[in-house]
Amino acid sequence: MIKKKKIAEASIPTSSMADIAFLLLLFFLVATVIDVDTGIGLTLPEYVEDVNTVKVPKSRMAAILINANGDILLDNKPISVSQIKGNLKIRLSSKIDLPNNKKLIVSVKTDRKTKYNTYIQAMDQIKQAYFEMWDEYSEQNFGNKYKDLTATQQAEVQKKIPTIISLAEPESVKK
Amino acid sequence: MTFEKRRANAKQEIPTASMPDIVFMLLLFFMVTTTLREVDVLVKFKLPSAKAIEKIENKRLISYIWVGNKGKIQINDNIVKLSDVEPVMYAKRQSLPNVIVSLRVDQGADMGLVTDIQQELRKAYCLRINYSTTLKI
Repeated sequence: MIKKKKIAEASIPTSSMADIAFLLLLFFLVATVIDVDTGIGLTLPEYVEDVNTVKVPKSRMAAILINANGDILLDNKPISVSQIKGNLKIRLSSKIDLPNNKKLIVSVKTDRKTKYNTYIQAMDQIKQAYFEMWDEYSEQNFGNKYKDLTATQQAEVQKKIPTIISLAEPESVKK
Repeated sequence: MTFEKRRANAKQEIPTASMPDIVFMLLLFFMVTTTLREVDVLVKFKLPSAKAIEKIENKRLISYIWVGNKGKIQINDNIVKLSDVEPVMYAKRQSLPNVIVSLRVDQGADMGLVTDIQQELRKAYCLRINYSTTLKI
């Protein structure tokens, strides 16, 4: 009689699979950096060789000057950093219904020795003024926060309150 | 008389058969979200903080420029001179037309240097910039 050969059971041991997966998981856990880059966005103007200057009426300008010590002038009046936002908001809201070529221009000028941090604080205030104006305008006209609007509505708000920030070149250090 | 402890007949085990599946799911999530650090930062910097900040949605478009507390500029893996910023960034812009330059500048740096870099960026047509800041609490 021919004995049937027993077929040896062939199986891959899977009990350690979890361990292997855990090791891989740990590696990726450690290696992951979930930091979204956050910051203040800006678009620079194109570089042109010879700048032809355009006269802009004083009423359109909000000139912010920052010196090396971190003192700030807004339209030749000394002002503290935290006051910039409120001041700009008043001026922005008065220009909402004006045509596009009469909107407010915020000009920022620094000294070469101004600390970067002071500049960022001022930019932050300017940006906050714009953000809050967008929110206020959106709530009045569309009854919603700016970020909850549709793209076309957002474009309309942008058209009404466009961000115009002009960065003037710093004056060289006076000796 | 002996007392026997009464025990419920139900099994007291947590089923572990699906553990590998759960772990694999987690693993997959982290594999997908991981971006391995490509460059070593050679300069020392502390970012300023601000409130009105935006997120950059598209991470692939970002190119970084570091400025340390001693006024050193780093692009990619090496410290560069100010005059090298333009050619390097121009090459970057050619490979990635709508590049966003993220400026990671130390909060104590001078504005003169930052403006000089901005001028170089303008010459290199890298016009979209972002001052990298942390959220002020």
